[in-house]
Amino acid sequence: MAQIPNLDNSPLNLKSLREQSQRDLVKILKDIRGKKCLVIEPKLGGTLSLIIQTSLLKEYGIELRHLSAESVQTDCSKVVYLVPSQRDLMKSISSHVHDDISKGLQREYYIYFVPRREIQCERILEEEKVHHLITIGEYPLYVVPLDEDILSFELDLAYKQCQVDGDTGSLWHIAKAIHKLESTFGAIPNVRAKGKASVMVADILDRMHTEEPMNSSDMALSEINTLILIDREVDMITPMCSQLTYEGLIDEFLRINNGSVELDSSIMGVQQEGKKMKVPLNSSDKLLKEIRDLNFEVVVQVLKQKATSMKQDYAEISTANQSVSELKDFVKKLNSLPEMTRHINLAQHLSTFTSKPSFLAKLDMEHTIIEASSYDICLEYIEEMIHKQEPLINVLRLLILFSVTNSGLPKKNFDYLRKALFTLWKRELLHSYGFEHMATLNNLEKVGWLKKQESKSNWLTVKRALQLIVEDTDTANPNDIAYVFSGYAPLSIRLVHNAVLSGWRPMEEILKLLPGPHTETKRAGITSSPSFATLQGASNGLDKIADGRRSLVLVVFVGGVTFAEIAALRFLSAREGMAYDLIIGTTKIVNGHSLVETIFERFG
Amino acid sequence: MANVSVAAEWQLLYNRYYRKPELYPLRWKNIDLSRNKVACAPFGGPIAVIRDDSKIVQLYSESALRKLRIFTSSGVLISDTVWKNPGGRLIGMSWTEDQTLICIVQDGTVYRYNIHAELIEPNVTLGKECFEQNVVECVFWGNGVVCLTEGGLLFCIPDFKVMRPCQLAETGAEDLPNCMAVIEPKYTVSGNVEVLVGIGDRILIVDEDGVQTVEGEVVQGLVQKMVVSWDGKFLAIFTHDGRILVTDINFKGVLLEYNCESALPPEQLAWCGLDSVLLYWDDTPLLMVGPRGDPVHYFYDEPLLLIPECDGVRILSNTSLEFLQRVPDSTVSIFKIGSTSPAALLYDALDHFDRRSAKADENLRLIQKSLPEAVEACIDAAGHEFDVSRQRTLLRAASYGQAFCSNFQRDRIQEMCKTLRVLNAVRDPEIGIPLSINQYKLLTPSVLIARLVNAHCHLLALRISEYVGMNQEVVIMHWACSKITASLAIPDAALLEILLDKLKLCRGISYAAVAAHADKNGRRKLAAMLVEHEPRSSKQVPLLLSIGEEDTALMKATESGDTDLVYLVLFHIWQKKQPLEFFGMIQARPLPRDLFISYARCYKHEFLKDFFLSTGQLQEVAFLLWKESWELGKNPMASKGSPLHGPRIKLIDKAQNLFAETKEHTFESKAAEEHAKLLRIQHELEVSTKQAIFVDSSISDTIRTCIVLGNHRAAMKVKTEFKVSEKRWYWLKVFALATTRDWEALEKFSKEKRPPIGYRPFVEACVDADEKGEALKYIPKLADLRERAEAYARIGMAKEAADAASQAKDGELLGRLKLTFQQNAAASSLFDSLRDRLSFQGV
Repeated sequence: MAQIPNLDNSPLNLKSLREQSQRDLVKILKDIRGKKCLVIEPKLGGTLSLIIQTSLLKEYGIELRHLSAESVQTDCSKVVYLVPSQRDLMKSISSHVHDDISKGLQREYYIYFVPRREIQCERILEEEKVHHLITIGEYPLYVVPLDEDILSFELDLAYKQCQVDGDTGSLWHIAKAIHKLESTFGAIPNVRAKGKASVMVADILDRMHTEEPMNSSDMALSEINTLILIDREVDMITPMCSQLTYEGLIDEFLRINNGSVELDSSIMGVQQEGKKMKVPLNSSDKLLKEIRDLNFEVVVQVLKQKATSMKQDYAEISTANQSVSELKDFVKKLNSLPEMTRHINLAQHLSTFTSKPSFLAKLDMEHTIIEASSYDICLEYIEEMIHKQEPLINVLRLLILFSVTNSGLPKKNFDYLRKALFTLWKRELLHSYGFEHMATLNNLEKVGWLKKQESKSNWLTVKRALQLIVEDTDTANPNDIAYVFSGYAPLSIRLVHNAVLSGWRPMEEILKLLPGPHTETKRAGITSSPSFATLQGASNGLDKIADGRRSLVLVVFVGGVTFAEIAALRFLSAREGMAYDLIIGTTKIVNGHSLVETIFERFG
Repeated sequence: MANVSVAAEWQLLYNRYYRKPELYPLRWKNIDLSRNKVACAPFGGPIAVIRDDSKIVQLYSESALRKLRIFTSSGVLISDTVWKNPGGRLIGMSWTEDQTLICIVQDGTVYRYNIHAELIEPNVTLGKECFEQNVVECVFWGNGVVCLTEGGLLFCIPDFKVMRPCQLAETGAEDLPNCMAVIEPKYTVSGNVEVLVGIGDRILIVDEDGVQTVEGEVVQGLVQKMVVSWDGKFLAIFTHDGRILVTDINFKGVLLEYNCESALPPEQLAWCGLDSVLLYWDDTPLLMVGPRGDPVHYFYDEPLLLIPECDGVRILSNTSLEFLQRVPDSTVSIFKIGSTSPAALLYDALDHFDRRSAKADENLRLIQKSLPEAVEACIDAAGHEFDVSRQRTLLRAASYGQAFCSNFQRDRIQEMCKTLRVLNAVRDPEIGIPLSINQYKLLTPSVLIARLVNAHCHLLALRISEYVGMNQEVVIMHWACSKITASLAIPDAALLEILLDKLKLCRGISYAAVAAHADKNGRRKLAAMLVEHEPRSSKQVPLLLSIGEEDTALMKATESGDTDLVYLVLFHIWQKKQPLEFFGMIQARPLPRDLFISYARCYKHEFLKDFFLSTGQLQEVAFLLWKESWELGKNPMASKGSPLHGPRIKLIDKAQNLFAETKEHTFESKAAEEHAKLLRIQHELEVSTKQAIFVDSSISDTIRTCIVLGNHRAAMKVKTEFKVSEKRWYWLKVFALATTRDWEALEKFSKEKRPPIGYRPFVEACVDADEKGEALKYIPKLADLRERAEAYARIGMAKEAADAASQAKDGELLGRLKLTFQQNAAASSLFDSLRDRLSFQGV
């Protein structure tokens, strides 16, 4: 099965999008005549594996390399770098060039920046005195379809750059990406944004519309009805919780990268010593499509059921006389056997993690924090983690969860030291994990994940108003999105749900309690049916399209989205009475681990 | 009949008719082609004329200085200039595709003129060798040139748009070539230009990388002249024995052979379309040779210049311009003497109809079935006509026939009328672009418009682009720029009005480009006014910078949200201004400031420090110093335990002092102090233990390492030095002892005093190390029954676990324990019975 997802069932023609990206890349490579060595930045290489098969690239007379600090070993006289526009990569490339010069090698160099050339990068090339030796181009890859309903802008560091460094370049990138989508699928008439960065994206998008006005004929064709922009900052709670859906758990424990997970082959039942293998996870896998968004508890049962029924079929086939058509059915079922084994192996591997007492204790603690039932137990638990020197990221996830739900770390308690608790925590962390984490702490404060408690927390109000805690969740037959966290309904998705159904207006009071501003715009002159009612009733939500087609909502998460949240969205759109298909756009698929990791910054 | 007179002007070459209508009687006076070097652009382009300095000519009443004059094809002077360029004799002169006049002189300098005879700077030179060896011959094609030096070297400019000369491979032959021809890059396999060179009795193919000799028997002996056809597929060759040969470009097969009976090569050899070849000696009639049959002779009594076009040859003489072309099939079918083709009958029918003769009807009836094709032929023939009245008659014939056709594509006539209107407009002698319909289609309307604009025929260009439904942006833009150049006397505000009035005609036009032009013309104020109207920041910002409006540029870039633009402005100001002024500009602007900091963090540490110091952000400087201290540590020169820790600690001390300057950073200051202290202690430890394992580990790690090494005293010292809490100390020590598997010491430690965190750490350490016996020592001491139950469960003691759980009266825990013990049937039933009992109690 290929890692490139099958996009045939997508509500949007994402295939054409991907094909365009393929053509763009092939054109770049064809335009450079002759044999050449293509050096790809490894992360970008991962992204490209969702666009084009590497074997296909080799047809264009290409030697493939990954960019690293070491210089490029090749006989080709043309070296083509395909890299994201990141400053730090320029040094490696310049050192490669200098290296070649010192060895007396004469080569032609090309750099293709993804998605566009940036002055800050070229400036470094100039300072390193190699700029004039290099031909510079662009590969405008702004969006990559991860699956039939997921688009990724591949901006791993977006959140950190915006919140810590104040570099909002990624927001421009997102706006540009959406603008590009609009040029293919028509301008989006309704835009709703919540959170500072989201509102900025919406603003830049508006600007782009005035700078490059679309033809009015494009407007009529708009396939996407509504754009909802949600800032990760609005809901930092959800990603800090452990995801409990099948795919979410795989990501938490094994890390899904570009729609596939890398495992020891022994786990998948292939006996090859120490060899790693990649297992693609996308909707081309029919079984996965069925179980990816279920709570893991249920997944185990479903797999068990399937295995038993297959065993039964097998027993029947070997005993009784079967008609040909029955045989045919059986063989058809056999086809799903590899998928079955794959997921049974994976699930078994996962259950070795989920059955650990430490995992259960952690889940317990997360729920205690979310329910805000007891400070002390939580803080003691976290303190003990620090004392035991458990991995810093695990500690920080809980600490952040605590700080965000309580709008900071409280001052009371621990009277015996008479210090602000906040300082105390920081000191404990530095003592246990080393002073190099000073920078990490600094960043955490900058993004507001850790802070002193200065005001009363809104969490209780928000939680109650949006019914985020759902008692008695039936994970097997869920009737609420809360099943994805076994009882906690993700805040972000509750917001999206309300935004889709009725816009921001009815929930303004709650929105004010959450970080960042919110906006709602209806682009003039784009409405498909400009009747008085729709112009008036921004509150009654989206305009229903008369011919019964489901209208399409693009939900963009600025700063990343988790698999659990995607599962919840899919659950929503599959529910009866939801006349909307949802497409998800995200800077990157994240989880608590990867989010905290981006904020990490060590001295040295 | 009128028809007869049409065909009477045709000549027959084998079975094909040729005609050469006069396009214009030339309007110029006193131009003698034989005295001048003349360059004519194809597609009815302009004609450049300059006195030939390789010939000795008599000067009449004219200046000794030569003048370069540029005419339209109708001989109307467009512009002239005095030729004062150094570099020796003018060797080659030709027009490029975008109508720039290229002049190459002896020393290899290339001068470029636009159609207004203005020199386009900078001049390019072909290189040192050309300068030393002198250029002797140039062969041009649409977009490039190959030059030959006296030394036999070949140089090439493959693309006039890039103007980058390169040398081709050396032929190695001693003689100079007899003749050369060029195969354009777009027709070669390699995509590079290939030159056919006739040297001695060989023909060589030369390109950038090498030389090949043409094999085969098609051409033998010396070649005197060669010309490649315009589609790059055929080659016409004039041989030493006076024959003209046409072969395909790979020298396979002879398509035409004719003996001209002249030992001298023709002065000019040109393709007429793809059907025949013209040869011109200045003292004999113009000779046209086709694949078969007798050649045609045309008699002239004045010098000629042949201008090859895609579908014929234009023949320029001192007094007129003619167009020699093969008569199109449709025209032949109508006008051939005695033709009875449907088209001819239709044409005839119209004549009868006009004369109110009933024969019209008869004619129509005759051709009823083939009427559509007759109409089509008339339309097509009209397209090929230069004579407006004949165009009209033919179209009327078509229109007349169409009325009797039931299923004919009616917009064909309309389309042709449109095309002809455009063609007739540009053929007007005042404009002087005699395009044939085929040339027009090949050239495309957009190029034609560009040419008109270039020749400053803006109004016509605008009308045409409007008429054919094209974007008028190009025209208006060019007009605006030309207007600015030409209106030095109009004040800024007035000119702005005039410009805006026209610019607003076109949505999405780039005001920035116009503004840039204004700035180039020294009208900075006008530029600033214009750029205000530009909606696209990506165009607006660079321009604002170039006209010195840095502040506005920074503002606009920030507003756009495009960080790349902000960087553009940042780097510009950074380079231009003094640091303090630069800092002042960005300090109060969050986005530019943050971007600058983020960039400088990677590449300009020292400069960043200056920034923070000048803005009073001491703590940021402190962070930078602290960070540097680590880089010192990473430096391999500063190997562990060496005195280089001195400078490291000094940096941290400095950072600490800076932190201490502000009240808000007491924590950081304290931390830096502790860090320095820790480094000192670790350094001492490394010296005393002679093991380089301490530096850069955390306080907790240091304590652990000490205990693992058995150095309890040192561990204690670190503990007191950093006021490590009892709780942490217990966890650390228990885990450290468990790593060394010193169970005895662990037990002793547990008995030192009642542990402040209970016995759970002890249990965990033992269980993790898989020491059940040791664990059992501590499990009973666990105060919490639930903890005790789980601990038992973890070491597999089901009964004890169940007991503890039931003591704790925790049904949920029992259930969970049962799950853990599921494999074990006996244990499982145990839990069930216990739980049942619990639930009874509950009731």
